[in-house]
Amino acid sequence: MARIAAGEREALRQLYEATSAKLFGVCLRILSDREESEDVLQDVYVTIWRRADRFDGARASVMTWVSTIARNRAIDRLRARGPMAYAEPVEDLEIADGSVGADALLEAADDSNRLQGCLKELDDRTETVIRTAFFEGVTYEALARRMDAPLGTVKSWIRRGLAKLKGCLQS
Amino acid sequence: MSEAPDLSEAEALAAEHALGVLDARERAAAETRMATDPAFAADVEAWRERLAPMLESVAAVPPSPELWRRIERLLPANDNGALMNRLKFWRNSAVGGFALAAASLAAVVVQVNQPPITVERQVPVAPQGELLSASVVSQDSRVQPLFVAAYDPDRKSLIVTSLLPEGSERDKVHELWLIAGQDKPQSLGLVEKGKAKVIALPTELLAKMSEGAALAVSLEPPGGSKSPDGPSGPVIGVGKLSKL
Repeated sequence: MARIAAGEREALRQLYEATSAKLFGVCLRILSDREESEDVLQDVYVTIWRRADRFDGARASVMTWVSTIARNRAIDRLRARGPMAYAEPVEDLEIADGSVGADALLEAADDSNRLQGCLKELDDRTETVIRTAFFEGVTYEALARRMDAPLGTVKSWIRRGLAKLKGCLQS
Repeated sequence: MSEAPDLSEAEALAAEHALGVLDARERAAAETRMATDPAFAADVEAWRERLAPMLESVAAVPPSPELWRRIERLLPANDNGALMNRLKFWRNSAVGGFALAAASLAAVVVQVNQPPITVERQVPVAPQGELLSASVVSQDSRVQPLFVAAYDPDRKSLIVTSLLPEGSERDKVHELWLIAGQDKPQSLGLVEKGKAKVIALPTELLAKMSEGAALAVSLEPPGGSKSPDGPSGPVIGVGKLSKL
């Protein structure tokens, strides 16, 4: 990341090679549209290029940092489509096919299994709202409308769910 | 699963922000807080790190082979080095001019740069431009930011926080500069060590608050830079403004 921050295009290209398939998968998962996902992905790498100087290795791993940018940009795009974008239900998550070469991804597999395990320990409803919120950037208000539940209730499901998740990940 | 203790209000907010359930206004407020409250920013990052493994379960799909070339064409020149050079140029010309003036005058009139007024304005106005933030880092060690700043177009103000220890280097002050385009650095006033400050920006500077402009901090004698053209002391850090 330091080399990218210093303006080395070659370093960005290497990062692109190691991470673009993963990040494209993330955009596609959120947007379900190849063309839009490519537009977003393009924006993601330009953002990484501009903001590499902000990357703080002590706080986040490279993979988390770049995936968070990809997810946020894809969600921004989804939100820009308007409220209709929130009409689809959350389908079951696809399982990673293991074809990604980046070492970082392999290391992350353990974390992923732990998180999936902890999510499974939540009640189904909480697990669903947390996954939906994460993959679609759905606000409390939209979640409440979608689930036909009072906003305060949805909020307390999520807050309690997140607290449990933290407890589970720490244990 | 046993009952987990509730999250503190600040951490719950950080978790909600990382999850993405806040509405546009709350999100903007959270981003501003991240830029000025390092503990909160760390909470958000920790939550992103906790939740990011969900992304691992998403299948990787290669994008079109020509996408890299499209990206490469879009890359703006990375101008970190150029910025430092420009600052050095301003500083050198300022120091030179100052020495000349000092030599020719018996007494030197120290020009004190007036720090902008630091009152928050709460006038509701249509948002002008986008929320921007910058993290001012030293060019030697990029790891720890020295200052963080967020530009809030709604309030037409810049919120800047010094992360340097309070009470260090008592005989020096930190002056904040805006570097936009080819203009000479514009003083945004002094920032006390370890303090946060809201700087109301004059109208003529609002248009300059855009991605690509940068903030810099220089080490100056009490009262601020002795040069009317830019920093008179060493520039200790630079950070570009970018969209949140």
